[in-house]
Amino acid sequence: MSKEAPKQAVQTTGHAWDGDLQEFNNPLPRWWLWGFYATVVFALVYWLLFPAWPVGKTYTKGILNEITYTDAKGQEISTHWNTRSLLAKEMQESRAQQQQYVAQLQDAGYREIRADQKKNEFAYSMAKVLFADNCAACHQGGGAGVIGHYPNLADDAWLWGGTYGQIETTIREGHMGFMPAFEDGLTEQELDDVALYVLAKSGEKVAGEQMQRGAEIFNGETGGCHYCHTKEANGMTSMGSANLTDHIWTIADVPGKSDLASKKDAVKQVIRNGVSRKMPAWKDRLSDIEIRMLTFYVHQLGGGK
Amino acid sequence: MAVSTGLGGEQYDYDIVRKFTIMALVWGVLGMFAGVYIASELAWPMLNFDIPEITFGRLRPVHTTLVIFGFGGSALFATSYYVVQRTCQTRLWNSGLARFTFWGWQIAVGSAALSYMLGYTQAREYAEMVWPIDILIAVTWVAYLLIYVQTLRQRSQPHIYVANWFFLAFILATALLHIFNNMAVPVSMFSLESYSLHSGVQDAMTQWWYGHNAVGFFLTAAFLGMMYYFVPKQVGRPVYSYRLSIIHFWALIFLYMWVGAHHLHWTALPDWTSTLAATFSILLLLPSWGGMINGIMTLSGAWDKLRTDPVIRFLIVSLSFYGMSTFEGPLMSLKSVNALSHYTDWTIGHVHSGALGWVAMISFGSIYHLVPRLWNTKMYSLKAIYLHFWLATIGIVLYISAMWVAGIGQGMMLRGFDQFGNLAYTFIETVSFLHKPYFVRAVGGALFVMGIMIMAWNVFMTVRQSKREEAELEAKIAAKMAQAS
Repeated sequence: MSKEAPKQAVQTTGHAWDGDLQEFNNPLPRWWLWGFYATVVFALVYWLLFPAWPVGKTYTKGILNEITYTDAKGQEISTHWNTRSLLAKEMQESRAQQQQYVAQLQDAGYREIRADQKKNEFAYSMAKVLFADNCAACHQGGGAGVIGHYPNLADDAWLWGGTYGQIETTIREGHMGFMPAFEDGLTEQELDDVALYVLAKSGEKVAGEQMQRGAEIFNGETGGCHYCHTKEANGMTSMGSANLTDHIWTIADVPGKSDLASKKDAVKQVIRNGVSRKMPAWKDRLSDIEIRMLTFYVHQLGGGK
Repeated sequence: MAVSTGLGGEQYDYDIVRKFTIMALVWGVLGMFAGVYIASELAWPMLNFDIPEITFGRLRPVHTTLVIFGFGGSALFATSYYVVQRTCQTRLWNSGLARFTFWGWQIAVGSAALSYMLGYTQAREYAEMVWPIDILIAVTWVAYLLIYVQTLRQRSQPHIYVANWFFLAFILATALLHIFNNMAVPVSMFSLESYSLHSGVQDAMTQWWYGHNAVGFFLTAAFLGMMYYFVPKQVGRPVYSYRLSIIHFWALIFLYMWVGAHHLHWTALPDWTSTLAATFSILLLLPSWGGMINGIMTLSGAWDKLRTDPVIRFLIVSLSFYGMSTFEGPLMSLKSVNALSHYTDWTIGHVHSGALGWVAMISFGSIYHLVPRLWNTKMYSLKAIYLHFWLATIGIVLYISAMWVAGIGQGMMLRGFDQFGNLAYTFIETVSFLHKPYFVRAVGGALFVMGIMIMAWNVFMTVRQSKREEAELEAKIAAKMAQAS
């Protein structure tokens, strides 16, 4: 036994292993023992209150711990404590809290919501999360969009119209964005010309001769671009054709290019390959009030019409 | 007083202990490095580099397998083989079979890690190994059990020392868990894929019965066995209470078996199963603490040694973390707390306060005790042990605090409602919130890896020093012999 071990009242068990390995025979610490008893009491009480022990084909249900809630059919249900009913009850309570505001907004017009601060705040609070969980995957946080794929919702250019009604229709019904490919319809030279014409419409400086040729393709039968984009190149919200005069580019990455040649190539690429995009319809996935609140939110993101 | 004989090499089979000790360090360095890498992937996803083999999903089981089974397992083989021989005063029962357990275990761990990187997994947490590896593990483990029991039976001591109870319980329970959780039907003889024999909620229940008892028996009971030998040995004082050791041993192994279902609160599991798991977890608190009390109180009367002996520091800090995480565990197993903590990083933090704070620290302390005795020399650098201690301790504290912030923060955000009854946060906001804690966690993990790398270097230098000393001694003896003749 170790020489420097102090004299203690407690004895070792008398066994020794591997030279100096011994054990004192101290009693169980009091606080430890009482602590253990306390956990036993805790467990007993827990078992009394909650579903706990299996008995035959059933189990003890617990007492003094009933849950009452209204199920989806409007029937009031009282049951012993269980996690499934607790979830139903908590969902019901949250819905009730929302409901007092939803009721006010159900029939309110968009302009009425905009005018009332409280309603405004509620719409924003509800739509913020809806937008992030449903829309942001494509349109990105804050509606910034991705050039070439998903339109920017934070600017004031609206392919399908930016009024409350138009935005609501877009969300509810979805859209197919389509422009045919001109790969076969136009020669390389014609593609160059019309691309430069389009760039000129958005303020790029292009030589008069090319402008002339481009204008003929755009407004004539060779390209026929004006049928959708109009002779003024302002586009039509009724069919989602882009306004080409507003310096805003949603598909060709013109702002990302430094010189005219590469800007032209970017535009040419779009004309050559055409466009085919789809925004899904949300009417079956979101409730009426959710679509309306999202409409309100998207409208104010980019300064709707 | 010190009692290491130094001549033990002949009396006992130390070669097998040396082998496992070295592999513990090798797997430790690799496994913890993998851990830091995946932690960094979470903070900076570009580190996935779009290489499937090193993406988070595949490296994560590599990390857990290498640290739990590679590092922890090898450290347990080493210390249990050492402890059973010294406390029974007998040589290991069958040296050849012991070598089989060494190669069987190393091949299982190595091939498991490789197979995960190649995309083969059983998709059961901590039991991802495909069925051929499971069979190798089962065979190796039965050999381990046989060696252990036979060595105990041929002991030249009348009583079995407490550390051996814990080791034996660990070996028995692990065999049981491993076999039942891995019962599966291979798709074909030549396929690595298989279907579990269990289905639905029973399958989930079996998996977490296994998962939690891997924590209870592999990472707790076994390391308590380690504690019961190395703490009194290093401190040079008797264990505090024999009575406490008996009571907490039986309470621990009885209660642990019930609690696995607390990993499945708020799922399809029946509510009564959840309740039993939660309450037995609470009942487990004090029995777990029994081990901590016995360890820490063994040191009472010799606290001054903390100032001079860095090895004791490792042991004491490990016991403190053990006490903390066995308090945190029962707390998290309550349904209402679990509703917040589950599926957040709080769980990850909790596991690591146990894995880094308890398992790794007690292993480091034990290995620092073992190495000089196995190679019959002193540790090459005492300063390096101090440095390791501080790197590891600061690393753990950073790790755990970061995960508390991340876990509780995300848990609160996910259930946050504003005054209108609408969700207050979007999912993506909780993700971007996690970036900073993830960064801190990666730093904490990196410190911890630096620590074990310093240890590996220190052990390497110690072994080299031992070889040099031995050569010098032999030269001296040869010279004397030459003089005499």
